[in-house]
Amino acid sequence: MYAIEVSELRKSYPKKIPLPFRKVEWIEAVKGISFKVKKGELFGLLGPNGAGKTTTIKILTTLLEPSGGTAKILGFDIRKDAREIRKRINLVAEGERTLYWRLSAYENLKYFARIYYIPKSEENERIEGLLKLVGLWERKDDLVMNYSRGMKQRLAIAKALINDPEVLFLDEPTLGLDVQSAIFVREFIRKLVDEQKKTVLLTTHYMAEAEELCDRIAIIDHGKIIALDTPEGLKKLVKGEDVVEIRVRDFSVQKLKNFPWKLAIVREDVERGITTLRGQITEEDLPKVVELLVKSGARILSVEQKEPTLEDVFIKLTGRTLRD
Amino acid sequence: MPLIAIIEKELRMFFRYPLRVFSAVLVGIVFLLQFVFFGQAVLGGRYSPLLASSTGIGDYPTYALVGYVLWWLSVSPMEAYVWGIRRELQRGTFETNIAAPIRITELLLGLALSWLIMDSVLMMIVFAFGILIFGISLTFSILLKSLPILLLSFLAFLGFGFIFAGLVMMLKHIGPFAQIFEFAMLFFSGVFFPLNVMPKAIIEFSKILPLTHSVTAIRGIFVGKTYAEIAPSITWLLLLVLVYWLVGYILFRWAERITRVMGYGGY
Repeated sequence: MYAIEVSELRKSYPKKIPLPFRKVEWIEAVKGISFKVKKGELFGLLGPNGAGKTTTIKILTTLLEPSGGTAKILGFDIRKDAREIRKRINLVAEGERTLYWRLSAYENLKYFARIYYIPKSEENERIEGLLKLVGLWERKDDLVMNYSRGMKQRLAIAKALINDPEVLFLDEPTLGLDVQSAIFVREFIRKLVDEQKKTVLLTTHYMAEAEELCDRIAIIDHGKIIALDTPEGLKKLVKGEDVVEIRVRDFSVQKLKNFPWKLAIVREDVERGITTLRGQITEEDLPKVVELLVKSGARILSVEQKEPTLEDVFIKLTGRTLRD
Repeated sequence: MPLIAIIEKELRMFFRYPLRVFSAVLVGIVFLLQFVFFGQAVLGGRYSPLLASSTGIGDYPTYALVGYVLWWLSVSPMEAYVWGIRRELQRGTFETNIAAPIRITELLLGLALSWLIMDSVLMMIVFAFGILIFGISLTFSILLKSLPILLLSFLAFLGFGFIFAGLVMMLKHIGPFAQIFEFAMLFFSGVFFPLNVMPKAIIEFSKILPLTHSVTAIRGIFVGKTYAEIAPSITWLLLLVLVYWLVGYILFRWAERITRVMGYGGY
């Protein structure tokens, strides 16, 4: 049995409240996606902002009603068995405001333990264990408002483990964290899968994070899954083609539109006027690309061959970077 | 028990800030004094034979104190749904709660009960202040006899407020709309002046507001009436408990269906 089974899932949002007798326009956010996640797998949904990742997570955690298609979590239907699903899963939602800042870490976990129906006899032991696991035991009585962003996220993860869920949904778990906190969170997530055999579905728009953490990744764009494979499998999509990074000065983004090659801007140093372009360009095409860039008024600073990354896969499939 | 956990959480956050509690009590007292002294100025003194003949209570501070305290408590569940849910939405904690296996109705009821408890504590202080400052005579028997009516009133207020729970989830920001209702109740339930001075249509309308019957019943107890004598008000309250819980629940389920299509969060 799969932990998560999604088939032709669709979601449209109304532009206005869909009251009876009111004509309302709908925006399609998820356009018929299908995937399966095995038990004990760390599965990633990688895509830019607005791709439909959070909507997908909200549907799978029974927070949103899908417009079409089906989804099962641990064999339970998301439409019919919401309560059964909620007992067995948990969620780290995007953003830092998912906890009560005017309560301490201990009080937060105690509250969530109660609304997850954790037996009172297990409550204290479980909270202590979780707070020690995320390294917050010493600060357990401090109000959450006095925590750093990283500490809040660690507490959010501890909260998400309060019911010992079989499936854990993490929506952009490292968004806005400093480097050290992000490393801690990534290592922690990997341990949850490797040591505790949890099934994890995470969304991210950080390709390095997806590459480092996930067993399999679905690249999602404009509400559709455009590729799904292991990180290595995905990178094979650009193998055999040379990934080139070109640093130019005085470059105008308008000129990229008429380019016959899929090049994306990966960095912009506005102060120095330097733009870094990246894409798959064969050896034969490279001189033509350079010539066209020079003709457009850009000055070439360097041309470098690079190892393909997931970003290159995304550029190849969409012609854009994940940050666009 | 989740309900107790919600109440504990809300009370903890409220009473954690003594200044906030002090300010709430102060606001309660200031409004009471304003209303009582304004009423006395209009009536030309503390005692009004006109008020006595139409309501049974001639002492204006007693009349106003009962009405005021009950009005505050009657809008408490409404405030809990409107501002309590809004606060959860703003905090970003509403979805975290919804994602738990707790029933959403239990979650909302927990919020409403918490606010009702907090407001009851505040109003007990304001009531005690009013009793002392205006020298109102109060016996233990009056308090004891008032308790069942108060509990029945709370049930009616909770049901009335429930109508707003669904609306706030769906529409998110209905504070100003709810405030109109709060002040309408103040005006149409005979809190500060007797209802019989109002046009007949308004008197009829006031009967569908639980506060109208709640204040009439408790004032009756204050002037020594028996339960049999206030039976019409009790009957009305019982009827309104059923009606408002039923209407509130149906409206809530409808609003919840729409909210699940649009999303709970995204304040």
